[in-house]
Amino acid sequence: MPPDPVGCDVLEVRNLTVEYADVAAVDDVSMRVRRGEVLALLGPSGSGKSTLLHTVAGFLPPTRGEVWLQGHRVATPSQAQPPERRDVAVVFQSYALWPHLSALDTVAYPIRRRGSGRRTARVEALEILDRLRIAHLAERKPAELSGGEQQRVGLARALARRASLYLFDEPTAHLDTHVRGVFLDELVVRRAATGAGGLYATHDAEEALGLADRVALLNAGQLVQLGTPAQVYDEPVDVWAARLTGPASVLEAVVVDARAGHLSIRLAGKVAGVEGPVFTPMGEPVRMLVRPGWARLGGELPGRLRAVRFRGPHSDHLVETAAGEVLIRAAGPPRHAAGDEVSWTLSRVWPLAGSGARGH
Amino acid sequence: MRSRPAVLGQRTGLLVVGSIVALLVVLPVLRLGYVVWDEGSTGFAVLLARPGLGEAVTNTVLLAVAVTAVAVPLGTLVALGLRRADVPGRRWWPFAMLLPVLVPQFVLGYSWTQAYGRGGFTDTTLGVQWAPVLGPWGVLAVLVVNTVPLTYLFAAVGLATRAEPNLERAARASGATPMSMLRNVTLPLLRPSIAAASVVSFVLTLESFAIPQVMGTPAGFTTVTTTIYRDLSLGSDPVSFVEAIVLALLLVAITVIVVVPADLWLGPRLRVTRVADPEGAPIVTTPRSGSRWIAAGLGGYLLLGVAVPLVALLAAAVTPAVGVSPSPGNWTLDNFSFVITSRNIEALGRSAMLAVTAAALLTLLGGCVAVLERGRAGRALASLVTLTLVLPGSTLAVALLITYGRWLGGTLTLILLAYLAKLWAFAHRPISGALDRLPAEELQAARASGAGPLTAVRTVALRPLAPALLGAWLVCFVTALHEVTMSSLLYGPGSDTLAVVVLNSKELGRIGPTAALSVLLTLVTVAPAGPIWLLVRWLRAPRRARARSLAHAP
Repeated sequence: MPPDPVGCDVLEVRNLTVEYADVAAVDDVSMRVRRGEVLALLGPSGSGKSTLLHTVAGFLPPTRGEVWLQGHRVATPSQAQPPERRDVAVVFQSYALWPHLSALDTVAYPIRRRGSGRRTARVEALEILDRLRIAHLAERKPAELSGGEQQRVGLARALARRASLYLFDEPTAHLDTHVRGVFLDELVVRRAATGAGGLYATHDAEEALGLADRVALLNAGQLVQLGTPAQVYDEPVDVWAARLTGPASVLEAVVVDARAGHLSIRLAGKVAGVEGPVFTPMGEPVRMLVRPGWARLGGELPGRLRAVRFRGPHSDHLVETAAGEVLIRAAGPPRHAAGDEVSWTLSRVWPLAGSGARGH
Repeated sequence: MRSRPAVLGQRTGLLVVGSIVALLVVLPVLRLGYVVWDEGSTGFAVLLARPGLGEAVTNTVLLAVAVTAVAVPLGTLVALGLRRADVPGRRWWPFAMLLPVLVPQFVLGYSWTQAYGRGGFTDTTLGVQWAPVLGPWGVLAVLVVNTVPLTYLFAAVGLATRAEPNLERAARASGATPMSMLRNVTLPLLRPSIAAASVVSFVLTLESFAIPQVMGTPAGFTTVTTTIYRDLSLGSDPVSFVEAIVLALLLVAITVIVVVPADLWLGPRLRVTRVADPEGAPIVTTPRSGSRWIAAGLGGYLLLGVAVPLVALLAAAVTPAVGVSPSPGNWTLDNFSFVITSRNIEALGRSAMLAVTAAALLTLLGGCVAVLERGRAGRALASLVTLTLVLPGSTLAVALLITYGRWLGGTLTLILLAYLAKLWAFAHRPISGALDRLPAEELQAARASGAGPLTAVRTVALRPLAPALLGAWLVCFVTALHEVTMSSLLYGPGSDTLAVVVLNSKELGRIGPTAALSVLLTLVTVAPAGPIWLLVRWLRAPRRARARSLAHAP
């Protein structure tokens, strides 16, 4: 993403702290969302994602820090612009559809608040519903819609707001896999079409990595890491971040030699050549991240298969080694049984700092 | 949402509501205290020596305890019994249990005397009479019949919102018999509701006036409220006046002593977080023998407690004189034509106008407090408004009289102010409950879609709140129409309400006309209440029907 000049950021949050019942739900967080970018807020429940979204939307005032939207300061501890005046749209986790309004009137609502007459608003609303392929549901009330349809009406309502920043509060949390896929596809299309920014809160790492341009990891209100999906997946800043962003195995090994991009490490009595960053400390035991694709079955390193699980497209093999437990994925059905001695190869590592659950 | 205009709106609202409460309640009650304090200790000594004072106080407290001790278990038992799926007429009993609310207290009491007293309905038709109906036992019985709908409601709502079916199923699956489950799981879960019902029942009995006046006074059974009434309307010396004031303060003191600790302890526990499940989940599916008895018991209770007295009242209204057998041959409309005078029609018009106005204002004020209590300072205000609920009507009437009597004495305005002060909480509670159940996200979605705070409420919250608002209006309307405790103390020539007219008619001892007037008063209440109640149910129904269709949706 080419760097944008300051002032073109759709959202900027500066040292934002939001306290909720004497607990800092958001703790000194600073980040930006650029124009046309989707930033995912990834974190477990209670990590502050919703609180951050609510503060940006205007439902909560900041305790400390500032919120800037499109270069305007909209929130400080002493003064906060109300939600209806901010250029944001919200898609809620529980849809928040109004039970007494039809889908059409629900989507027309933001258009009417802008000042349009009822007929004009309904025409525009029908157009939006049509783009989301739910125009046939226009006259239905929320209780007559399924979960996926309700979610699309909620998205349509947000789109009708024509905002520069869209806030998504775990919108697919209640949806089944198929509907979730449909929703996410539409999101990508929308984003490309309007160029608006998006802030997407979720606890699902796969969703975040697949959808976002950048990912922010939140733990107990604090920003742990901010980077591209590849960065947070391949180069997490600590064990907690590693476990959050995907299946993670942690092995302990000693680096004996390092050259540009290549490390020789000793683990389980053998020496292996792997890809890894040159700054990894040498000579002392280091905890290293191994993603499922960074090791494979077959090779020189010894191990014992603790468990095997067939997942469909691949099988997960949990291999016990002297250096730790490693998860290896092999395509197809399992070729070994639990308890077998297997050999495996390590091709890539990433060194990790810190112990497991910070703040948990 | 702390932008400046919103905070300003909240502050203005708090100021307005706060000053109304101060003017209508706080100031007058303080004035009461001042008058007593001014009296000095010598006046006190004279006062305390007055005959019957101690007796009235004792009677009042004992009555309150007795009514609570009977009505609360009764209401709870009915609520528990009606949970059974196989009780005949299961759908209609809850409705029937609440019907007695539509009968004014005075009418209920009076109709009991006409039904079971000497020379009454059962006496002339069956030769059976219950002499104690005039006296403490009669008062107790009718107060119980009057209070059971309320205690039943508390218990029923408590069962629907607190006693999770799964908790009880877990008990049964662990080997508990139905009785043991009741004792160990259901009743403990119901404790907050039962406690709340007890407090309300106690307080309402403390301040009840019409029933003790109609059934107790003729037999020499006095309570604090009837003594106040006697002192203010019949006594003409200053000592009687001061006695009334002292009694009024005493009443509120007893009330506060009981209510404040109870509310402090119960308040948080009563906040309903679970939406009541109207269908519920019938716990018992195997046919059990008791169910038919339950229906029979309820039927008998309603028959003897309400139906027979009302029939007796009707009979008294259409028979020309006492003791005449109420057979169809003797029916006459003379009593009705006697009471339908222009003066009484005026009184009826006044009552209706007063009730409609009061109900509208109260719904507005109750809604304001319900919205304001979402903020920090508003919560204290809401508690204050709740306290006005338990402020005895007699006390409030006396307080308003001595504070504003000079300018507003004997006017309808004063009566209206009294209704506003007393019935505020009647409107506030249902609206507050409905607001609690309104999902916060729906209002947030409106704000995030560009609606300001007032627009958001208007477009998104009003429609779902409509049943609660209409229900609050209806409750205030009915209560204002029935109200006689305060009206009887505050009215003047040309500002008597229909309820006061009925009371005065009874005091004059004319049975036929009083019965006719009672019938009219009841009809005037039921006639609008019926359609409006149906409207409220209809407004609620679409939600339920829609929820059902969602359950069936793919």
